Amino acid sequence: AEVEETLKRIQAHKGVMATMVINAEGIPIRTTLDNSTTVQYAGLLQQLTMKARSTVRDIDPQNDLTFLRIRSKKHEIMVAPDKEFLLIVIQNPTE
Amino acid sequence: AAPLPSPWERAEQAAAAPAGPRPPPAAAMFEDGTAPGAAVESLWRSARSARCEAKSCQTGNVPTAEAAVQSQSSRDAAVQTDQGKAAAWGVQHEAQVDGTSLLAFLRRVEDVVIKELNKNWTSHAFDGFDVNWTDQNETVLCLHTLSYPEAQDQHLQVTSVSWNATGSVVACSYGRLNDGDWSTEKSYVCTWNLDRRGLDPQRPDLVVDAPSSAMCLAFHPSQPSLIAGGLFSGEVVVWDTSRTEDPLIWRTGMTDDAHTDPVYQVNWVPDAKHRNHCQLLSASTDGKILVWREERDGRLALAEGFALVAQQIPRSAQLKKLARGEAAVGVTSLSFSHFDPRVFVVGVEGGYSLRCSMAAETPAHHRSGSSVPLRAPAELAFSPHGGPVYSVSCSPFHRQNLFLSCGTDGQVHLNSVLQTQPLISLQLSKKYLFCVRWSPVRPLVFAAASGEGNCKKCFCFTGDVHLFDFEKSSQKPAVSIKQAGDECPVYCLEFNTKQTQLLAAGDATGAVKVWQLSSDFTEQGPREMNHLEQLASEVTD
Repeated sequence: AEVEETLKRIQAHKGVMATMVINAEGIPIRTTLDNSTTVQYAGLLQQLTMKARSTVRDIDPQNDLTFLRIRSKKHEIMVAPDKEFLLIVIQNPTE
Repeated sequence: AAPLPSPWERAEQAAAAPAGPRPPPAAAMFEDGTAPGAAVESLWRSARSARCEAKSCQTGNVPTAEAAVQSQSSRDAAVQTDQGKAAAWGVQHEAQVDGTSLLAFLRRVEDVVIKELNKNWTSHAFDGFDVNWTDQNETVLCLHTLSYPEAQDQHLQVTSVSWNATGSVVACSYGRLNDGDWSTEKSYVCTWNLDRRGLDPQRPDLVVDAPSSAMCLAFHPSQPSLIAGGLFSGEVVVWDTSRTEDPLIWRTGMTDDAHTDPVYQVNWVPDAKHRNHCQLLSASTDGKILVWREERDGRLALAEGFALVAQQIPRSAQLKKLARGEAAVGVTSLSFSHFDPRVFVVGVEGGYSLRCSMAAETPAHHRSGSSVPLRAPAELAFSPHGGPVYSVSCSPFHRQNLFLSCGTDGQVHLNSVLQTQPLISLQLSKKYLFCVRWSPVRPLVFAAASGEGNCKKCFCFTGDVHLFDFEKSSQKPAVSIKQAGDECPVYCLEFNTKQTQLLAAGDATGAVKVWQLSSDFTEQGPREMNHLEQLASEVTD
């Protein structure tokens, strides 16, 4: 439906290698990768997002996390956090 | 008067006696006298002791005996836990998701994410930005120079090196490569454990006597003590380095099945039927590629075999006329594809490489009889070199099986398994190239060992190890390491897959040098796989 179309639009963007949506408990809801890789990403990134959010709020309680980007040698992982879901996009930015 | 003397009387008499002569008693009315006392015995004391009397104890022994133990024995009947959330993780069984809230979420974040994706794509913020997490090693150092003095005294050369499964032991085989004759001299296989303290480069940890020159070695990929070797006499033997008395555990013997020419390559191939088991494969210049199976009494028996015969080599338009008839095609090197375990590439004396498959069915027109029918494995012949091919190596990174081949013409061809013409043909040096190997960590790096050859009209023997990096330059080597002084071609080299900065190279002086590579050879760059794919897709028609 519309959900699939939105995800397809994101996935079709230049350089995007994978897209996944996980819920607040870390369970993948939609993914373009295989199961075991998705589960691995979901668990690790959820913990990291929680940690990043608590870091931001500890420094300034009026502040909150809006976006998380991790840049590595091979690609860039982007996490859009929310109360109920987490959108993870992995992009390979070859300049 | 004779009345009884009264008590007063006596007392007085007694008292008055010492005084002197007593006056005669006066009037007899009151007289002194004494009377005996009266004693009364106590009654209560005896009565009391009459009441306490020591009697005897009269308790009998209470008999006790162990009758029985009453412990409970239990047995698990059933477990009553709820289905955990972790149980059904397949994304197919999707968690209860409120479709509308998911849609709302996605609508909220879509714009932000797309904006970031676009920014990323066009950003130059991280161009050339690299982080060093480990200490950078700038140069290539020689860590150890290992040799066996006895073998060096006999002027034996190192024909092959191999690292074991754990990456801590390096083994080398001694033999002769520049001899054309049939030789029966004994040779050695030596191993050194580089992680031991007190490593003595002149004393190997283990020296095994081989009945004839050992031409090639291969350690077992998962059992760190098994090592297979191919001999000049055509035998294939397996040694177990953990046994102290006699390390030889299997041998093929000189049967009709065995090779009749020196064995130039042994490999362990994973067994299709038993997942963890490996079979031994040997290739020799008599054209046969044989797969061995271990038998009970320490003999190796033939499991399957292939034979390359000139007649059955698939021709392509560019190849020159090959030897006619049933001439055997001598195999000098072999390499298995890392992605398809049945596909392998062989290099032959004629100067070309062949793509072969273990699944081939056609029988070979091979002259000599053998117990197992031999099959013809060749499927595709690649464009030839100007001389015999001494080494082939399949890339561990590329799906389409890029492989390298090198030979006495000093050229290295980078081929794709799918087409006959090489993708890139490099003239590395004017000398013979004896060995070429892909790096196990960097998809764009390979090493080549060079040796004797004709350069500028003189026959020079200096040996080099060339490290080539396609990322830096596709024309000349990134680093050329001089192995030793003159007159010393380098015959073999191997990368260490576990400690990826180590490279072992064996040369003609009988020494094995272990080189430590600089960091740029051990760390994969950010876009190497892409570069490799690009290289592979340059198809020259």
